[in-house]
Amino acid sequence: MNEQQQAAVAIIGYGTAGVNAAIALRRFGYAGVIRVFSDTNTLPYSPILTSYYAGGQKTYDECFPWSAEELAELDLEVVQDCPVTSLDVAGHALHTPKGDFAYSKCVIATGATPMCYGFPQVEGGSYEPLVLRSMDDAERLKGVLEDDSCKRVLVSGASMVALKTLEACLNRGKQVTLVGMNPHVLDFNALPQAAERFERGLLGYGVELRLGQTIAAVERVAREGADAADGGRDWQLKVTFSGGDVDYFDEISVSHGMKCNLDFVEPGTLEIDRALVVDEFMCTSDPDVYAAGDVAQATELISGQKRIVGIWKNAALQGECAGRAIACELAGAEPTAEGAFKGSISMNTIAVKDTLFISAGTMEVTPERRVEVRETDDMTVLYIFEPLPEGGERLVGFNLVCDHDEEGSRAYDTGAMLTLRIEAACR
Amino acid sequence: MGLLERSDAYWKFTGQCTQCGHCTKACDSLIAADMTLGDIAQALLAAERESETVDQLRMNIAANGQLVQAVRGCFFCTSCKNTCFAHNDVCDLIYNARVDFQKLGLIPREAWSSVLVDEEWDIFTAYRAIHGIGYSDLTRHVATEEAPAQTGFDVAFFPGCSLAAYGPELTREIFATVEELGGKATMIDHCCGSSLKSAGFFDRAETLCDNNSREIEQSGAKQLVCVCPGCANDMKKALERTGVDVEVVSLAAFLNEHGFTPKRELPDTPLCISKSCQDRDGTYLEQTCELLGVDEQTPTIFHGCCGAGGAVSAFDPDRQAAQADSKLSFAEDGSTVVTMCPTCTYTYAFRMMSAPRNLQNKHYTELLFESQFDWSTVFYQLNSMWYGEYGAWLAQVFA
Ligand SMILES: Cc1cc2nc3c(=O)[nH]c(=O)nc-3n(C[C@H](O)[C@H](O)[C@H](O)COP(=O)(O)OP(=O)(O)OC[C@H]3O[C@@H](n4cnc5c(N)ncnc54)[C@H](O)[C@@H]3O)c2cc1C
Ligand code: SF4
Ligand code: SF4
Repeated sequence: MNEQQQAAVAIIGYGTAGVNAAIALRRFGYAGVIRVFSDTNTLPYSPILTSYYAGGQKTYDECFPWSAEELAELDLEVVQDCPVTSLDVAGHALHTPKGDFAYSKCVIATGATPMCYGFPQVEGGSYEPLVLRSMDDAERLKGVLEDDSCKRVLVSGASMVALKTLEACLNRGKQVTLVGMNPHVLDFNALPQAAERFERGLLGYGVELRLGQTIAAVERVAREGADAADGGRDWQLKVTFSGGDVDYFDEISVSHGMKCNLDFVEPGTLEIDRALVVDEFMCTSDPDVYAAGDVAQATELISGQKRIVGIWKNAALQGECAGRAIACELAGAEPTAEGAFKGSISMNTIAVKDTLFISAGTMEVTPERRVEVRETDDMTVLYIFEPLPEGGERLVGFNLVCDHDEEGSRAYDTGAMLTLRIEAACR
Repeated sequence: MGLLERSDAYWKFTGQCTQCGHCTKACDSLIAADMTLGDIAQALLAAERESETVDQLRMNIAANGQLVQAVRGCFFCTSCKNTCFAHNDVCDLIYNARVDFQKLGLIPREAWSSVLVDEEWDIFTAYRAIHGIGYSDLTRHVATEEAPAQTGFDVAFFPGCSLAAYGPELTREIFATVEELGGKATMIDHCCGSSLKSAGFFDRAETLCDNNSREIEQSGAKQLVCVCPGCANDMKKALERTGVDVEVVSLAAFLNEHGFTPKRELPDTPLCISKSCQDRDGTYLEQTCELLGVDEQTPTIFHGCCGAGGAVSAFDPDRQAAQADSKLSFAEDGSTVVTMCPTCTYTYAFRMMSAPRNLQNKHYTELLFESQFDWSTVFYQLNSMWYGEYGAWLAQVFA
């Protein structure tokens, strides 16, 4: 065995994709060292649960899907508080604040970071807007939401993460305004008719919507009439919107998109488009470096192109695929077609209080595609069909909005049924 | 491999579950167990971790009443999976757990002794034998004392156990139509093995389906027409596994394709369609609606299990009854509940015997063909066979 083979399999990032890569390495027989680099000192958490934690529906401990005992069984060497700062692809080495580490194969599973693109410089004093991804972000948001002196929150952005933040605010009894640059909420996940029904739900919960607007300026100003009952909060945020309106808020949460955590990859060493471009085994342009989860650009089924599909299940499946392929290779075998990533479609489910939104597939309505709307008293379903070259058509996307969010209900069954139909039509 | 045979499946599931808890709220059994699906996988792995021997493992699992409830109380209805934002595969998880339960002796024999459908006698074959229901004239690809095996069939008809046992006239009428429309036909009167899977005999269920595939291949049929979505799904997988190039179509799709003319008028009561939980993507529902000439949006459609799935009745009969009640409660008073799978028809009929409702309960084929199920006779015959001259034999065979 040469030096490279003896070196550990490195996993950069201890999130969903990283954990699943580790599980798969063990499931498929790799018995050597698995060294995981984590930039935190906790067990892996679920970003999905952060808004539930902030909103008071989950405890801190409940945000960690895997127990210490389970993870111990995987026999991982976890290097905590140790962000990888640079990846030396040619030298098969990782550089970190705790030293350099050799690897035989490496899985990049570092996820993404929320961005505040377009958020203006705050005048009149410092203020960092709230964001949501990590447990630290959630802790800060929770603190704000538990603070009675915070009464009004401005949520900027209308994506899934923004709406989850909004829900957490509503659950804590805050008065919420949502500002979004697009004419409707749910950004690229919904067609207008579905978004409108969702918006009616939000308005019913007292949410103020400022759509088609952005935040033009923010100023930290003294709060008039601040007293002890306000918990000592003697400042507020004066927001000027792009349309010229001015309003005052206690906090602002910003969800203006995500950026892949790839700063440690030297430009030109791996093929990067919007994220790391990978093959069906999650292998990057370097045969010993794999990528999975929000940092990977793998096959999206409807377009047939390589795209980021930044959802949990994808991260889990891609992590599994990478771990399995590496286990195979290190055992001297070719990865099998069975273990290949089958491609994925975008899928989203979100409920703000009782208003449920489910979508899957594409929302791109090209001239060839046909949209069909079916509306009942409590549900709107939009179907996007695409003609097939051999005649007939296939379902390529849908939106479902229901005024009642009930687990196990027909709305969920319909959502799952349509998702399966899209997947079946694409494969 | 550790003490659990299927720990691989639990690891896989564990990795995919974020522990959001939505699945629990979708299911009375999970609520009773106070578990998420991920908890089930994790509890099994924890039991394995805490055990040194198989006996210890058995005791650890048996002592975890919540886990037993969650594993044995599952109908495989996928309501939880549909609610899960990641659509995590409950069926794969619970089928594997049942395999381990079976291996560990955690499913009592009386729960499955009468449904070993790969053996000579099971409840369906016994019923058919006792009540003189046979199809040797239709299973033409099989040699009998009177006739040699035939080949060169165009189509094989797969009625499934419930239809073949409890609706012999309906079975024959459908068979005749299939032959009339699709060409030379034979009948496969075996089971798809779903009851074996529920009991934790997964491999045996697959072997049974694989044997069915080979039988179909030998018959020369190019198409397999299935009545029940569950049979169709299992047979599709088996044909693929065994590399047999036979197309599986639902009876509804087959009849649509051949321009079938219904032999009776639809009832003038409102229709309420009970979607089969095996019809995961709604394809069979669409085909059934087309066949009945109803818009998919017009009738009330309810999803989920009728209560028969997963052999839950052998674990908790009340749960089965409650499930049937909850589904039937969607049907408006005076309407006709239309089922897609004959086992659902059976289950509703059984429930409505003890808890009558102002509903008609019909398999969709009963709305199209002359012959009908006669449930009071079926239940009388099912019951009486345990007491009549065959009672002692049955008790012995299914002991
Ligand atoms: C609020 C919120 C709600 C969401 N809701 C949903 C939802 O409902 N459904 C859904 O499917 N998806 C949802 N998502 C998306 C989902 O959480 C992600 O797609 C998924 O977690 C991606 O997994 P990952 O392993 O790629 O990244 P992560 O889970 O983020 O893990 C990456 C880890 O790597 C660490 N890391 C980064 N850089 C380095 C470095 N240089 N060295 C070492 N470690 C590093 C990160 O800190 C992180 O811990 C949501 C996300 C958020 C933020
Ligand atoms: S499949 Fe149905 S019965 Fe089984 S756990 Fe899920 S919801 Fe419950
Ligand atoms: S709904 Fe899905 S992700 Fe959430 S706990 Fe259940 S199985 Fe896990």
